Amino acid sequence: MMASSSSTERHSRGLPTLTRLGLLRGLSVPFGRLIGLVMLLLLAAFAWLTPHLSTAEPYRQDLMATLLPPGSEHWLGTDHLGRSLLARLADAVRLSMGLALLSVASAAIPGILFGIVAGWRGGWCDRLLSTLADCILALPGLLLVLMLAAIAPGNFWTLYVGIALVLWVEYFRVVRAATQTLAASPQVQASRLLGFGRWYIIRRHLWPELAPQVMTLAAFGAATAILAVSSLGFVSIGLKPPTAELGLMMTELFPYYQEAPWALAQPVIVLFLLVLSFQLLAGSEPK
Amino acid sequence: MSIVMDVRELSVTTRSPTPDILVHPISFSLKAGQPLTLLGETGSGKSLLAQALMGNLPRELQASGQVFVDGVDLLQLPPRQRQRWWGRRMAMLPQEPWHALDPTMAIDQQISEGYRLVAGLSAQQAEETALVDLEQLDLKQVEGYLPSELSGGMAQRAAFAAARTGAATIVIADEPTKGLDNARRDDVVRLLAQAAREQGVLLTITHDIAVARQLSQLGGDIMIVKSGKCMEHGPAHDILDNPASDYGQRLLAADPQSWPAVQHTQRPLPSPIIEAQSVTKTRGGKLLFQDLSLSLSPGEIVGITGPSGCGKSTLGDMLLGLVKPDRGKVCRSNDYSPRRFQKLYQDPPAAFSPYWTMGTLLADLCRLHRIEHRRIPSLLKRLELHPDLLGRRPDAISGGELQRFAILRALLLDPVFLFADEPTSRLDPITQQETIALLVELARERHCALLLVSHDEALVQHSCDRQIALHH
Repeated sequence: MMASSSSTERHSRGLPTLTRLGLLRGLSVPFGRLIGLVMLLLLAAFAWLTPHLSTAEPYRQDLMATLLPPGSEHWLGTDHLGRSLLARLADAVRLSMGLALLSVASAAIPGILFGIVAGWRGGWCDRLLSTLADCILALPGLLLVLMLAAIAPGNFWTLYVGIALVLWVEYFRVVRAATQTLAASPQVQASRLLGFGRWYIIRRHLWPELAPQVMTLAAFGAATAILAVSSLGFVSIGLKPPTAELGLMMTELFPYYQEAPWALAQPVIVLFLLVLSFQLLAGSEPK
Repeated sequence: MSIVMDVRELSVTTRSPTPDILVHPISFSLKAGQPLTLLGETGSGKSLLAQALMGNLPRELQASGQVFVDGVDLLQLPPRQRQRWWGRRMAMLPQEPWHALDPTMAIDQQISEGYRLVAGLSAQQAEETALVDLEQLDLKQVEGYLPSELSGGMAQRAAFAAARTGAATIVIADEPTKGLDNARRDDVVRLLAQAAREQGVLLTITHDIAVARQLSQLGGDIMIVKSGKCMEHGPAHDILDNPASDYGQRLLAADPQSWPAVQHTQRPLPSPIIEAQSVTKTRGGKLLFQDLSLSLSPGEIVGITGPSGCGKSTLGDMLLGLVKPDRGKVCRSNDYSPRRFQKLYQDPPAAFSPYWTMGTLLADLCRLHRIEHRRIPSLLKRLELHPDLLGRRPDAISGGELQRFAILRALLLDPVFLFADEPTSRLDPITQQETIALLVELARERHCALLLVSHDEALVQHSCDRQIALHH
């Protein structure tokens, strides 16, 4: 219908888009997502370029120069042990981003695979996987991570496995529902009658349908993972000192907030920006 | 006769600096007791016109011109004041009732809610009146049912009752018969006619010529609309019997009842390529058909008709092996690969992956079956499809063209059996006629058996060699 197609087109143009800004003709990315992407790239550049541009080391203490305000020698000042905050922040952002990417990948891959299998095959296969997913959903996610952290304290890999184990369920549920609907659709029936196999159907029918949903989940998942690690660090259950980790840095700098408020503010602001940029990237579909 | 609604130079445009005109200025008047029917193909702006009259156009569109009711220009009224008219003075009968009804509320409650909130009756009075309505509409036995538990026709009747609780004198029906089979279509038209007789003013918007024909028994006018322009406007009988405009003539000639009769071929039929032997099928505890036998020979065209939900599509799917019979069996000739048994779908866009261009999808098929790519251009020509369409995705191709692409896709596999499941029910009459004529021609030319399922008996009668009618 003329009316409905024109109105949906207009709805999707609710926010300023790249096309409206005259960039990237034909590609329409909502403005919010673009900002999220740019912020992430800047944070990544900060995290990976700082070690090359500055000689400061994240773990070298200088007890003669503790809690210095930002200045020419230490650009962002020093912490209570005289360590360069610039170097530590860069290290912490690298750690957070790395952990986020790793946990997203290891949650998304099994989640998507199980989701397709369960949605496609149905029957006992679906029942088994869905029950497993329900069991994991019945456990509070953070509690599971805490449990694993208690078993092997201070270990990066335990944290990572714990977070991935909780997050795959989301991908599984979204992918399973989309696969079920699509498997019963005329377009897939038509492709089967024409002789196409399942890989073709996944590539041409299923994946284009799933990709945007999975990307949104992945960006939210990254934000959740970063917050989880920092929360655990803040309550001293996650990674152990002297590791530079945002939550841990907050706890360490907390006692000095009156003497050196700028020091405590830094990990807080960086964490805020990091999570915000992933949330913006995930975007909320304007409807 | 008094004019109830006077529409002068009403047009609908987009709100952009360089507005697109979606409905060109149209003038007409609605008189009591004289229904007006707007007839035209889908996408011709008919629904926008209805929304402009009601005052519920999408935000980014605007209506200009004048619409006078009782000396007041509706378009000048503030939106809030117009909304107060809804249900009380003007009512709109929605297009697809199962979307307009609240899915979580029993239908009798939805109707009585209208009486309570719009007409201002007390709760008890409202309930009693709603029950009277249900009884009159023959819905008494489904009192307390949710919309999802009703058939399309029942849902349409319930929506009709809910829309009219405010005793609106002006009733606008937007494609009220879309998706309904013949019997239910007649029911809805009867309701509309009753509304026109009792309350006076009825504006019906439809693409279905049969609806216009039935409503013309009440007298009134017909306006034929194409791409947002009025093609002709006059007394219903004159237009139906003797359309003046070129488009009007083509549109009315496309009504299946006016199609030329089938030329039956009397040559002996070759041995069947597909056969159902006394098959029985139940669905959801309901018997669809029992001990049904059917066979198709190459080049033979068989039509199946029947009300919706009677198992027409299931029978076709069974022949294709997509559904198993409960008893009996389906035999296919072993001389042909299973890929040569193909299907056409009711909703053409739903039969293609929306993310790829036509060219990509056809190239995939050629690669899979090692079909020579150069067969495509000649088929495009045969099906009158422009080669530029290969670069477009399904959502940028019209329904009729897309259905022809579906035919092309099947033809690449040299089909010996084609099951066409309501292939034209979403197309407008002219495109429907062209598509069916093409299918029949191709089936004869290529000795392909064609099983045509349709709810339209006239269509099947005028295109098939044999006809099978299924009942409930």
